[in-house]
Amino acid sequence: MKSKNTLIRVLSVAIIFGVLTTACGAPATTQAPAQTEPPASTEAPAATEAPATEPSAATEASGKMFEGVTVNLLTFVGPQVAEPLQRRGPDFTELTGATINVITVPNSELYQKALTDMATGTNAYDAFLFAPSWIVDFAPAGYIEDLTPRIEADPAIEWDDVAPFFQDFNSYDGKVYSIPLDGDMHMVYYRTDSLAEAGLEPPKTWDDYLNVAKTLNGQDLNGDGEPDYGSCISKAPAQQSYWWIWSIAAPFIQTQGSSQGVFFNTEDMTPLVNNAAFKRALEIYKETGQYGPPDETNQGVGDSRGLFISGRCALTMDWGDIGPLAIAPDSKVIDKVGAIITPGSTEVLDRATGELVPCDATTCPYAVDGVNYAPYASFGGWAGAINAAADDTVKDAAYAFLSYMAQPAQSNADVVVGATGYNPFRISQFENKQAWIDAGFSPEAADNYLSGIEASLNSPNMVADLRIPSNQKYIQVELDRILAEYIAGNLTTDEAAQQLYDAWEAITEEVGRDAQLASYKATIGAK
Amino acid sequence: MVRHWFQSKSYNTPSPVGKVLSYLILGFWTLLILFPLYWLVITSFKISSQVAEGPFYIPFVDFKPSLDAWKYILVGDLSNDTLRTFRNTLIVAPTSALLALMLGSTASYALVRFEYRPRVGAILTFIGCVGLSILAIYFGVPWQIAVAVAIVVFFIVLLTIGRRFKRALGNNDIAFWMISQRMLPPIAVVIPIYILFQRLHLLDTYTALIITYVASNLPIVIWLMRDYIDTIPIELEECASIDGASRFRIFWSIVLPLAIPGLVATFLFVLVFTWNEYLLALFLSSANSQTLPLVIAGQNATRGPQWWNMSVLILIMIIPVIVIAIILERYITRGLLIGAVKG
Amino acid sequence: MNLKRKWNTNAHGPMQIRLGHVPSDEAMNPESQEGESSRLRTVLASVERLAAPIFLLPAVLALLFLSVFPLIASLYASLTRFKIAKGGFSLAFVGLDNYKKLFLGSERTHFLGSFAPSTAATWIVFGLVVITLTIFLARYLSNARVRRAGSGLIGRILLVLGLGTLAWVFTHTLWNGGRLGTVTVTIVYVFVGIFFQYILGLMLAMLTVQNLPGRRFFRVVFLLPMMITPVGVAYMFRMLTDTSKGPFTPIWQAMGLTDFSWVNNAWGARTAILIADIWQWTPFMFIVLVAALESQPVEPLEAATVDGANHWQIFRYITWPAILPVSMTLILIRLIEAFKIIDLPNVMTNGGPGTATQSLTYHAFINWRALDVGGSAAVAYMLLFLVTFFSMIFVNLIRQQTVEKL
Repeated sequence: MKSKNTLIRVLSVAIIFGVLTTACGAPATTQAPAQTEPPASTEAPAATEAPATEPSAATEASGKMFEGVTVNLLTFVGPQVAEPLQRRGPDFTELTGATINVITVPNSELYQKALTDMATGTNAYDAFLFAPSWIVDFAPAGYIEDLTPRIEADPAIEWDDVAPFFQDFNSYDGKVYSIPLDGDMHMVYYRTDSLAEAGLEPPKTWDDYLNVAKTLNGQDLNGDGEPDYGSCISKAPAQQSYWWIWSIAAPFIQTQGSSQGVFFNTEDMTPLVNNAAFKRALEIYKETGQYGPPDETNQGVGDSRGLFISGRCALTMDWGDIGPLAIAPDSKVIDKVGAIITPGSTEVLDRATGELVPCDATTCPYAVDGVNYAPYASFGGWAGAINAAADDTVKDAAYAFLSYMAQPAQSNADVVVGATGYNPFRISQFENKQAWIDAGFSPEAADNYLSGIEASLNSPNMVADLRIPSNQKYIQVELDRILAEYIAGNLTTDEAAQQLYDAWEAITEEVGRDAQLASYKATIGAK
Repeated sequence: MVRHWFQSKSYNTPSPVGKVLSYLILGFWTLLILFPLYWLVITSFKISSQVAEGPFYIPFVDFKPSLDAWKYILVGDLSNDTLRTFRNTLIVAPTSALLALMLGSTASYALVRFEYRPRVGAILTFIGCVGLSILAIYFGVPWQIAVAVAIVVFFIVLLTIGRRFKRALGNNDIAFWMISQRMLPPIAVVIPIYILFQRLHLLDTYTALIITYVASNLPIVIWLMRDYIDTIPIELEECASIDGASRFRIFWSIVLPLAIPGLVATFLFVLVFTWNEYLLALFLSSANSQTLPLVIAGQNATRGPQWWNMSVLILIMIIPVIVIAIILERYITRGLLIGAVKG
Repeated sequence: MNLKRKWNTNAHGPMQIRLGHVPSDEAMNPESQEGESSRLRTVLASVERLAAPIFLLPAVLALLFLSVFPLIASLYASLTRFKIAKGGFSLAFVGLDNYKKLFLGSERTHFLGSFAPSTAATWIVFGLVVITLTIFLARYLSNARVRRAGSGLIGRILLVLGLGTLAWVFTHTLWNGGRLGTVTVTIVYVFVGIFFQYILGLMLAMLTVQNLPGRRFFRVVFLLPMMITPVGVAYMFRMLTDTSKGPFTPIWQAMGLTDFSWVNNAWGARTAILIADIWQWTPFMFIVLVAALESQPVEPLEAATVDGANHWQIFRYITWPAILPVSMTLILIRLIEAFKIIDLPNVMTNGGPGTATQSLTYHAFINWRALDVGGSAAVAYMLLFLVTFFSMIFVNLIRQQTVEKL
């Protein structure tokens, strides 16, 4: 009797509860801080007209008004890379009415934030500015939008002016998935004054590099009475080590052109790391630490860059940022910096034996003066992609913004300023030296800097990032950890090479060897 | 004379030598605490070259202070991020602290005054039904239906099978279970919580953060309030009950006012935790509900850590909590942090 | 403790929740009895009876939904592997693979450490630990009151096994070329950190409760470090410990250590993190101990002073027993929090050199960042076991204390 009463009461409560909550409608999407409310600084004026301040920028393909449309663009915290987006956002809003909401997260979180957002169907972000090598994970899964039709319909973006290498790098399976805003290439920078004083040539091989570093290490390079460093290449874990190592290893491993590949054997997908070439690269990388600051193993590229700009290093390796940064007002090395293609090697890997053999016409067909160069376009340059699950208007607005940023009128202004973090990627940006001189480069410096990049881009033996599925696991997890252990002295060279080999094999097995091989060959253009 | 220096006047007043020693040690520790904060303050007035070229200690003497960092953070390019996230933190932290306080104090009151003997059977049935409803929601059933059905099923099962299992748990077990939830590393539960909120379309909202913070701080509230409420004499409540007041009335009008000192202290504790929380905010917010610790972490850009900007941000975060610290200290002086003390 | 703290109870309802004494309807509201319909009163009475569950239920539900169920889901996740799939993702069941990797497979040196061959010292230390544990267990067994294989015995066996394993891991990774893994590094952080935090906190608390002018100022200032967001503290210390640009550079250089950086040395890096950790959390110990010291009854202290006891004797025989229960609870709370350390290793050293400063949460975090959800959950579960293991030890110690006092 009592239980029946209870049951009735419970049922009634349940029914009332169900009715009430259904009636109350959908939960907190309305409680969310109004997602469409534009942040104060990018408040769009109710633009009824678009003052075409920059005619070339008024993109026809973007259509007229994206009034009231908000684009959530995810990238990492600036000021570099994010700052131009934040700066040009309001301009774009004036032109088209769309609000660009730039959301930043720490660099190390960018990949998983983007992936989690799309994989779980949350789709809080409409567009991303990230590493183009990630599109190989996102594109097959259908997360990001195929931009080829939009690009073809957009003459303002001047796609042909984008260097072919960057066109390829932002494509997957023949379709373009991201728009480059930045071109990335490693180069070695040196102090013209210090090297000239010591009678040294800019290094052509990595042995030269070590030699120069050793000679200049401990000398006072910036006139403050303190001894300075021969070489500054950052070595902190979870930073950039996994890119530096390939700039060192590539000239030892790849000789027959980009389609030979540097990471894996194109026959059976075994990693090309357990051989004399990679081990030599490891040793070189470690040895540069002897000529650098004592806390180099806790430094990222920002720190080593800062050190070079304040005059404390004779040599450094970096992306293109140092060129414009060196001529900035607070630089201590104005007109004292030279850039050169990353050093090569006179000994290369014989893939059959795993040993190093000297360079000759057959082993090194692309050698220059007997030195095999393999410039590494690491990271490929920040590129913008669009979430395929966004609304069509939002996608259009996002594309319009990315196109706006990439167009020569904006892009040319951004790449000459070091603080933006954007480096040249358009052919016209290399050829038009005047823009650089206007920005403050001396003609010689402009020549030197740009020809360094051009030489790298024109090299037939260029190396691109690994772009197969799970590349993040191969490079940023396993390689990074093993490098960190190696630099810390916990592993011998042989152990490090062997562990890397095993770790990479484990991943390949897990993902599927044949699929990975096919994917790898497709991305490097191997037959 | 010398012996006088070593004599203390009472058990609590140290001898002159004792005083000097005490001040030395306390002063040293104060220096240890204040120096990093001082460094933070002067770094916020430096520009990048002044940081990179080695330590400068005194503004105007060693280096020329500049307001660049402050301008950048408060009115310049980053001001959008800063002000938005500061507002978010201001909303999320006190709200979740308050909510945790409410839920926690009612729960701890109940654990002290009422005697629970939930049977193991009832508990398992309860968990089972809730679990099933979650699975149903996960597979797409509208949540209102799933919850309603689960409630009904629960009571049906309870009244029939649940009666079989006699073994019961007691108050202390429940309390222990609640407090032990603190042992849970947030990283263990982040993905399921992320998916939970995503299903409820609550991701990147204040609600998600507030709910999560409440759940993770409930154990602290219960720990602190339980023994505090213990010290409130039960006779007051019994009198009120005889006069005809309902349980809720007693709790609201009698117990809570008496417990205010403990409540305030607990609130401030929890507020500090929610104000400074980083990991859960990182996972659960994408754009609109980002909180200030995330912006601080984000200053570690590829151009190297922007120490000057970071210092400004940290200082902005600290100043409100300094005020809290001053208030909190007063409550300790009054010896009212009894909950913590009794353990 | 007020023994009579529970209400008189009546059994009621299917859950046998005993509620307080509900006065009969007539006594409730004599004046309003006439206006009230009996149905409304019945409803009110039912609500009244449901007061107990209503008070407790929100908290229980919140914890269930946001702690217990995610935990179970996470357990499932630790048995799977995450894969990106078309339009979403998939979790492929792989059984205990993730755990095997941690203990036996590729993550072993990362997780447990790199094992060195045993030396004489290893055997001696390990032997001592084994002997102590055996004596402990033997004493328990020979205790005449305990004969059945109850939960007490199982608990103690687990304890012995757990501590023995940890001792084994420690002795083999601590010296002779072995390297600590994330488990052992975390344990070092927790115990060394808490040790110093407690000692310093106690010392400062004892100094501050004295009748010193200006002690209020000290108390406020000492509270500050705990109030700063851990990420902020981590960056602050990174700045401070920078040996080329930080404030201590002149001292560092004067000691001739210009070419040496603590970041390259495993123990140097760990010490830096411990210093930051101790700086930040000593205030927590401090304020609770201040409260405890101040709430001591004054009479015994005064009596002891009158009797001529010196400070050390007062401390040892009066103060220490009084604050012992509080201290144990305090250490337990801090222990639970300390195991979750992540901000400091993440910001100060990125977990380096190598993986030397990585804590368990950091290990789980980098797995998660690489979208190895299963691996991340597996490490997180191991952390949970570790925390529970040590917490249980402490809780039992506390229980023993309170039992012995009675």
